[in-house]
Amino acid sequence: MTEKKKLQIALYWGAACGGCDVAVLDTNEFILDVAAAADIRFWPIAVDGKYKDVEAMADEELDLAIFNGAVRNSENEHVAKLLRRKSKILVAFGSCAHMGGIPGLANLTTRDEIFTAAYLNNPSIEPGNRTVPYHETLVDGMKLDIPVFYKRVYKLASVVDVDYFVPGCPPDPAQVKNVLLAVVKGELPPKKSVVGASDRTVCDDCRRQKKEKKVKRFNRPFEIIQDPDVCLMEQGILCMGSVTRSGCGVRCPNSNQGCRGCYGPAPSVKDQGTKFLSALASIIDSKDPSEIEEILSRLPDFAGYAYRFGMPTSTLQRSHRS
Amino acid sequence: MQNCRIGVYVCNCGTNIAHIVDAEAVKEAVSKLPDVTIARSYRYMCSNPGQEMIVKDIQELGLNRVVVAACSPRMHERTFRNACKTGGINPYLCEMANIREQCSWVHVADKLAATEKALALTNAAINRVRYHEPLDPLTAEMCPTTLVLGGGIAGLTAALELAMAGHPVYLVEKSDHLGGNLARVDLTAPYLDSARDLLTERLVRLRQNPNISVMLNSQLKDLTGFVGNYSATVATHNGHELPQEKTLHVGNVIVATGYKEFDASRITHYGYGKLPDVITSFEFEEMLRAGRIQLKSGRPPQYVAIIHCVGSRSKEFHAYCSRVCCMTALKYAHEIKSALPDCYVSDVYIDMHAFGKGHEDFYKKSSEVKTLFLMYGKNERPVIRKAGPGDDCQMLIEVDEKLSGERIEIPADMVILMVGMEARPDAGEVARLVNISADKDGWFIESHPKLDPVATTTDGIYIAGTCVAPKDIPDTVAQARAAAGRILAKIAKGKIEIEGVFAEVNEDLCSGCRMCNELCPYSAIVFDEVKKRSHVIPAACKACGACVAACPSGAIKGRHFTDQQIYAQIEGVLA
Amino acid sequence: MSYEPKIVGFLCNWCSYTGADLAGTSRIQYPPNIRVIRVMCTARIDPTFVVDALAKGADGVLICGCHPGDCHYSEGNYKAMRRFPLLKRLLKSYGIEDERVRLEWVSASEGQRFADVVTDMTERVRGLGPSRVHATLLTDQRER
Repeated sequence: MTEKKKLQIALYWGAACGGCDVAVLDTNEFILDVAAAADIRFWPIAVDGKYKDVEAMADEELDLAIFNGAVRNSENEHVAKLLRRKSKILVAFGSCAHMGGIPGLANLTTRDEIFTAAYLNNPSIEPGNRTVPYHETLVDGMKLDIPVFYKRVYKLASVVDVDYFVPGCPPDPAQVKNVLLAVVKGELPPKKSVVGASDRTVCDDCRRQKKEKKVKRFNRPFEIIQDPDVCLMEQGILCMGSVTRSGCGVRCPNSNQGCRGCYGPAPSVKDQGTKFLSALASIIDSKDPSEIEEILSRLPDFAGYAYRFGMPTSTLQRSHRS
Repeated sequence: MQNCRIGVYVCNCGTNIAHIVDAEAVKEAVSKLPDVTIARSYRYMCSNPGQEMIVKDIQELGLNRVVVAACSPRMHERTFRNACKTGGINPYLCEMANIREQCSWVHVADKLAATEKALALTNAAINRVRYHEPLDPLTAEMCPTTLVLGGGIAGLTAALELAMAGHPVYLVEKSDHLGGNLARVDLTAPYLDSARDLLTERLVRLRQNPNISVMLNSQLKDLTGFVGNYSATVATHNGHELPQEKTLHVGNVIVATGYKEFDASRITHYGYGKLPDVITSFEFEEMLRAGRIQLKSGRPPQYVAIIHCVGSRSKEFHAYCSRVCCMTALKYAHEIKSALPDCYVSDVYIDMHAFGKGHEDFYKKSSEVKTLFLMYGKNERPVIRKAGPGDDCQMLIEVDEKLSGERIEIPADMVILMVGMEARPDAGEVARLVNISADKDGWFIESHPKLDPVATTTDGIYIAGTCVAPKDIPDTVAQARAAAGRILAKIAKGKIEIEGVFAEVNEDLCSGCRMCNELCPYSAIVFDEVKKRSHVIPAACKACGACVAACPSGAIKGRHFTDQQIYAQIEGVLA
Repeated sequence: MSYEPKIVGFLCNWCSYTGADLAGTSRIQYPPNIRVIRVMCTARIDPTFVVDALAKGADGVLICGCHPGDCHYSEGNYKAMRRFPLLKRLLKSYGIEDERVRLEWVSASEGQRFADVVTDMTERVRGLGPSRVHATLLTDQRER
């Protein structure tokens, strides 16, 4: 009796928080179906397996490799390239792999500044301890190395060719299920598609009422008594829903928090942050330059807000300080 | 983007371009670019042979895109679009690169850099034109009713011209009578026609014409819509009640709101408002109409001085010339001498602007009636003093006379200040209502000062008369008839063609966020509550692009100025 | 070898582009570093155009529109007026020098002013040195 060959899959985390792996586990019973239908050959968080096991595979032996997390160091890039070789389909899973994610905000600073903050100026460092990691060292005449910490963060598609993108921080577990089922059934859309998300924006699915958009003051969510039925932007609360792909179930606006843009820009939008800037500034209700400045002064970190999940994928990608 | 076959034409513009920009080199370079089927360099692309070259190439080489690197598109975009149309392709499949006004004419010192820039701009145009799409105009109805704002000589003339052709007109006048500033005038220079006769002739014909609805004590409150289809809200004040509002459906608007005179009390040392017999030209006209030239005391003046350029041609007040005052001043000299032959008249002027038909003759005639002409310097001022007890006049005027080079003192019982024209204080409000612009002096801005003096940049809104700039009656009437003529031509056509360049919302991408809704100055964006999608009304859209840039989901496309086209241009100039 | 700044200009059709043409008809000279892209109104300018120009190698970006109150489309330049300061804040976060991106109001009759603005901006951007953006993004693709 010929047994239908089980799907060979691998999951990996680059510069990640673990949330995407949890999202996969959050599919609950479905993951057991997955385990039954597929051989999970490599998944550091959940199953045993070494890099050498993956290196030993034949090219395209894997049917599906799901990579979450950003590319921050040489290990992330090495495994990304490895999985690309060894797998027929490579999926960038979650905001970090898709757009660089929160680790991507490090692109506004430098490696030196990060190391200084983490290893030198950190209050928990013993006084006098000036140890900073270096990627190579000699111990007893033998060379030891650790991954090279890159100058900046990259999204997955900047280092390898990616077939599909599943956005979200993390992707909605229901969408995870849809993606896995699609692979199983062989019903995948054209290559390079974003899957598990709508082609419209969060506004399309948001139940809040939308009316006249004129803002005279920006408010933090706690600064006003919110009306749960009215558009957050109309109440001066920043919400990136209008520029962000839907598919997440509007989980943030439904929790009275502005959308943070984790599903990435709508399909026709080239740069999520500058597009949001354009929309946001357009609805400021003032024609007076000093009043406009005053209104904008309530947005102390626009770059951090607008590119919370997508700094490495923005047009300028990283800081260009000298 | 279909398989592009681009024709590139580098104009030499005689030597205007070719003298600085190496047009041949640009032609050579672009001929090697992908999709460029043919590249040519030619003396005058806008000439008939130049245009025919494009037509021929389209037909024989199967071109489907055309780039012309030449003068500014503001000069000849229409020319080359027409050439494309004649050749058989959609006129919007054409793009120009400005290598004259913004290249060869401004970078003469560095021919190499100018050539490089010309190449970059042409490259950008080639990049952009690949993404051009054929666009067709929309047609809309042309309502034959016209709204005329202002019941002065300009408004009356325009209204009559339209009504006599058989079309309805609403004549809206702010005050309680027709005639405007001309009704305050006695005789007109240089032929000394009675202003009353000029007006009466029009008023009689107006009353007899059922096509004209006169609305006195009325003002325009709101104007929405687009050319051929405007909706005007006019408020009429009946005195005791609240203003009554009426909505009128009109096709075009003629703005003929006129001028107001300069407030002479702003020049404190002419003593207007303090010295009793220092009066303005309009106050003198009142005397002329009443038939009695006399001082406040009741006796006729023995010495009259007329001072030109009060508030005009001055650094302090208005730099411009008010055009009519010189001839009017000569008219006064003439009339004073007729009424009071023994009165001494002094005409104190800077320059004598006798530019029009019959003006020089009138000037000559006036100098023959024994008027003393005294020339003073621009930005200087004659000084008016009260005369002493020993003098036989009320005031003395000191002038640094330029022709004699001497400081001359003349007696004056009456001083007539030739106050200049100013934009009315509500001009800005009117401009805003009808969506036209006013310049720094408050005069309405015409579409082109030489080639299109009565149209504005807003289709369907015309301007005529002194609200555009100071002018005399012949020019005012000419403009009023011109504006009416333009409208009659449009009405005769029946329908109007609206350029197919507007914004459009892709309903598959629109998520109903409504960020765009309040951004449109023409109220062209509506929200469908059922579909929960925004929609742009094509005929009302003026294609400014505000909504296109603001749309957070990229659902709004700005025809002919799409993101794709602009990114291609950016790439092209930086290549 | 001194570098020649590349400046991309976005000019609105009715005021600033006409003003630039007037500089031409008046033969007022200015440096050839600017390459103009015409839009109908500054309202059309998506801030993404500005960052795109910088990413593609522009050393400076100049936006010119009608003076406030004079916009041919009534309020278009106010939209630019609102977007621009926020864009400047964003560019600052990216470490882009303030003088590389500029918004100026130039009317249809201000040919001399256009020339003066371009001359001034060209010199300032020259003083800043070439923008590192394009080169850095290219290098990022090869070097880690």
